[in-house]
Amino acid sequence: MSRASHAELKLEDETFLTDDFLRQLINVGEVDILVGLPTHNNAKTVGSVVDAIRIGILRSFPRERAVIINADGGSRDGTPGLITGMSIYDARPASNLHALRTLHSISTTYSNGTSGGGALRTILAAAELLRAKACIVMSPESAKTQPEWISNLAAPIYREGFDLVAPTYRRHKFDGLLMTNLLYPMIRALYGLRLREPYMPEFGFSSRIGSQFLGGNGWSDRNGTGTELRFTLAAIKGGSRICQAFLGEKDHTERRAADLVPALRQTVGPLFSAMEADFPVWSTVTGSNSIPTIGSDHELMLDPIRVNRKRLREMFATGVAELESVFHLILSSSTLAELQRLARLDDEAFHYPAELWVKTIYEFAAAYQKSVINRDHIVQALAPLFRGRAVTFLIENRSASASEVEVNIEALCVEFERLKPYLMQMWKSRE
Amino acid sequence: MREMIVSELSQALHELARGFAHYLPRLIVMLILAFVGWLIAYAVKVVVRSILRLIKFDKFSENTGASQLLSKAALPTAAEVLSRFVFWVTWLGFILLGVSVLGILGLQEQVGRFFIFLPRLFVAMFILFFGLLAASFFSRAALLAAVNANMRSARIVSMAVRTVIVVFVFSVVFEELGIAEQTMLVAFGIAFGALMLGLAIAFGIGGRNLAQRFLEERFVRGRKEENEDELSPL
Amino acid sequence: MPLNTDPLWYKDAIIYQVHVRTFYDSNADGIGDFPGLEQKLDYLQELGVNAIWLMPFFPSPLRDDGYDISDYHSVHPSYGTLEDFRKVLHAAHERGIRVIIEMVLNHTSDQHPWFKEARGSRGNPRRDWYVWSDTDNRYKGTRIIFLDTEKSNWAWDPESQSFYWHRFFSHQPDLNYDNPAVREQMWDVMRFWLDMGVDAFRLDAVPYLVEREGTNCENLPETHGILKDLRHRLDEQFNCRMLLAEANQWPADLRPYFGDGDEFHMAFHFPLMPRMFMGLKLEDRKPITEILQQTPEIPPSCQWSLFLRNHDELTLEMVTDMERDYMYDMYAASKTMRLNLGIRRRLAPLLNNDRRRIELMNGMLMSLPGTPIIYYGDEIGMGDNILLGDRNGVRTPMQWTGGWNAGFSVSDPTHLYAPLIQDPVYGYPAVNVLSQRESEHSLLHWMQRIIKVRKSNVVFGRGSIEFLYPANHRILAYLRWLGRETVLVVNNLSGTAQAVELDLRRHKGNILIEMFGDNIFPRVGDLPYLLTLGPYQFYWFRLRRV
Repeated sequence: MSRASHAELKLEDETFLTDDFLRQLINVGEVDILVGLPTHNNAKTVGSVVDAIRIGILRSFPRERAVIINADGGSRDGTPGLITGMSIYDARPASNLHALRTLHSISTTYSNGTSGGGALRTILAAAELLRAKACIVMSPESAKTQPEWISNLAAPIYREGFDLVAPTYRRHKFDGLLMTNLLYPMIRALYGLRLREPYMPEFGFSSRIGSQFLGGNGWSDRNGTGTELRFTLAAIKGGSRICQAFLGEKDHTERRAADLVPALRQTVGPLFSAMEADFPVWSTVTGSNSIPTIGSDHELMLDPIRVNRKRLREMFATGVAELESVFHLILSSSTLAELQRLARLDDEAFHYPAELWVKTIYEFAAAYQKSVINRDHIVQALAPLFRGRAVTFLIENRSASASEVEVNIEALCVEFERLKPYLMQMWKSRE
Repeated sequence: MREMIVSELSQALHELARGFAHYLPRLIVMLILAFVGWLIAYAVKVVVRSILRLIKFDKFSENTGASQLLSKAALPTAAEVLSRFVFWVTWLGFILLGVSVLGILGLQEQVGRFFIFLPRLFVAMFILFFGLLAASFFSRAALLAAVNANMRSARIVSMAVRTVIVVFVFSVVFEELGIAEQTMLVAFGIAFGALMLGLAIAFGIGGRNLAQRFLEERFVRGRKEENEDELSPL
Repeated sequence: MPLNTDPLWYKDAIIYQVHVRTFYDSNADGIGDFPGLEQKLDYLQELGVNAIWLMPFFPSPLRDDGYDISDYHSVHPSYGTLEDFRKVLHAAHERGIRVIIEMVLNHTSDQHPWFKEARGSRGNPRRDWYVWSDTDNRYKGTRIIFLDTEKSNWAWDPESQSFYWHRFFSHQPDLNYDNPAVREQMWDVMRFWLDMGVDAFRLDAVPYLVEREGTNCENLPETHGILKDLRHRLDEQFNCRMLLAEANQWPADLRPYFGDGDEFHMAFHFPLMPRMFMGLKLEDRKPITEILQQTPEIPPSCQWSLFLRNHDELTLEMVTDMERDYMYDMYAASKTMRLNLGIRRRLAPLLNNDRRRIELMNGMLMSLPGTPIIYYGDEIGMGDNILLGDRNGVRTPMQWTGGWNAGFSVSDPTHLYAPLIQDPVYGYPAVNVLSQRESEHSLLHWMQRIIKVRKSNVVFGRGSIEFLYPANHRILAYLRWLGRETVLVVNNLSGTAQAVELDLRRHKGNILIEMFGDNIFPRVGDLPYLLTLGPYQFYWFRLRRV
């Protein structure tokens, strides 16, 4: 990077917080615990979330200096007002909460559209300016947020010196298939860490990795999608001390990245992209290690839910047929032939085996690195194939118990680890 | 008679020699020009190539999919193609300059036209290159969007987008080169209409999710249940 | 400098709390005495205080530091004679210093002749002066105050074969205020000292005078009736006298002791003091503003009395459990520093001998609404000795010089009533009046200066308070105003430099005059008034329209 552009970036850094927000930060001053809350039109749920945060702080960190910082993407439903109204502040002593300290709850609007990047950046910048020792980011959408989550996420950082606390949840066994079938096993195989929820709606981090990430480049990326995953990967790469904390039930009403293609863009895109820079890191890793976990590392709910498997499988089949020209550029001919064979199978016979799935992903990753076509197109092309894999996962675990589901996921993980040499081979070919 | 022949011959030889003597410096100048031109063209090629490498032109063309186009045509990398093109145009220019120094009538005029034509050639090449890139990019984008939106006629949409853009690009290129202007005007008229149609479809696809969500949130809350069989991926 | 005749003198007072035993020994017996105190009155005048509060000096077996009185009409022989006291009183008045003495109404010593008579036989005429019972089951709803030493409020008297009532130590039997003779007698005692010229009484343990079955025996209406009667007699027969209540209660429970201006003139604000320490440690003004928000209005003639430290432990009775744990962890990490529900330390060691924090705390003491009390020795930053039992660690001899016995006494050091502070930081060679007099920068000089500034403006003693609540919660800012006079006080409770924006729009057009240096600060305009304060810094500004 040239000197001039570095200076420009610096200038941009200093001015992306508004004067008014800076004034509020001056009033907050140094804090021990910072709770970041990115919002965009969350008036329905944010009240109960902030309430839980507040109680969590008062219960678990009554003596610590704490602040709630809301980074809002331009809500029109009065979300910021709801949050700032929950400050514990002597000029408005109506609160029935007993607190030793003032608890500021402040809000700012970030630019850069509504993607998460601007929000996280604002929170990180605030954390650095306030010299927060432990920071957590909370999702404004989960109505089931409990006060204990604050302590679960912040205490390992504040009291035990961890750098990153990832959440684990109680989920339905078919909830978060992208997590169980791709992100968890692949990140585990690449970086050797068994991080159950690498894409984290709620997480805690230390000032050290916060500042590191804030100071790193990557903010110039205008669309800013996938900042959350990039943050996780940056933490892993930086050799941070990572742990997991069980929070509780993950709310189904969360709509964030509910659609598949945006979800892929926010997770798989950044993952593939990070692989390029992190090659020296992941290429030397074999096997994987578990992460210290507070509470259980996953809990599954088994109640039956209605899923239209037929529709998913059809979308897989049409995808494979229609996108042949695209897959031709991305996949090896053997993998493509195998997929085309699968696409012709009917519902009963359909089976997208783990090995083929892993090879598919690894070939996609290599194609992404080589930019055989536009990178966003590569990510989009993965969607129909993922649906196919989802169908197989649903069939495999149709009547499986929690432990059986876990065995299946573990088997997939092992497959990802076993085929890592295949990834290396794909990565190095055509170079 | 013999003397005449001898004198004519010697005169002819003289003239040839004189003519040769007259042309020899020009020829030498031409050769020097061609040689210097080669040197300069080579230098320009090296400079262009290193500049393109410095700005990571290959990466850029990879991202836009141009490299793919080139490798399909068994051509080297985009930077190499571009620098070779610059080399040949530069050297050709010098050679033509040398030819014009020879003072051959008619040829000079052609050389002059070549130099006038040169910038338009560049522009046309440029348009063609990026036009074809755009055609392949947008057609693929349309294809992916259509597939992921579960549209039946994904490939047709994609083809339509590609055709419209290619026709448009060629009409502009021919216009620029001044070839078959009339035909191209008509072709463009047709193509433009088709392009608008293509754009309408493209926007329809792009805005589909947005419109769907908007409608859902406003009016048909009940319909959400039908869509819930798509599991939350994260 | 004769005493003024303002009946509200206590509102402008700055009180110096001292035990005659601890101050200065004139006869080389190792115990401070009245002639010694008389010699040191010039020092107090120089400091700028205009009232002294003398702790109990009556004849006593001294099992509760003199609060166990065995004769109400005399002076303990160790401290001199009644005549010596009279001289001190006179000399103090000559210097414009009023004298407040202790009056323990609730109980006597078990060595008092009245009790000796009362326990003598069940038929003794004085029997009914105390509270007797055949069982220890009466008044079950009453809490025990000295939890560390007493198991019951009833004690067995083997002589008369019955139980007697005591709210404090078992050697301090409670007087029976249902007996009119007792009430008359105690008024006689008070009149004895008032006639002599004493200006005020600090009435000890007033909530406990009367007992009633089925109550907690505290703050009873009958008790208030007795106190109102005493006040009535005082107003009838004397001018310019004052009653100060010691009642460690929540502000709302304390409020009745002011009556309608017909009971006490003053009362200690117990809950505020620990919250000042807490606010300082938290670097957050919330505890201070909250307790003052909860403090009820008092009649115009009444006044709160504020203090940072006194002869007792820093009491944590009037805080929540969470706050108490915090205070213990922050200010008394070692268990030996704790006593009952409090911390037995002096001001300077509590504040880690940080001059800036000591100044800030004194600055708040002098500028919050109420009459400040300075505990002897705190004006020079004296230390404590936590190795001494009970509260004796904060009652060591005053440190006058770096020489023999700290200049307190010329006696053999082994004869001193208590050992001197000897440690390298707070020991008398390092901390003493003489060296601080010589040093311009000393705490003593600074205290003289702040007392002078406080006395220069009447709003501190008599004005109303209005909090400003700037968004920066480390800044405690308030306006004190009386009539057209307004003072702005801005305190930085944090150990780092702070910027604060104050909303002073209502005072637009005024200029600010910093009261310690009389320097002019910019005029107040429409914009928020921006101030920056260094660590633990505070400003007092006089607002003036020019």
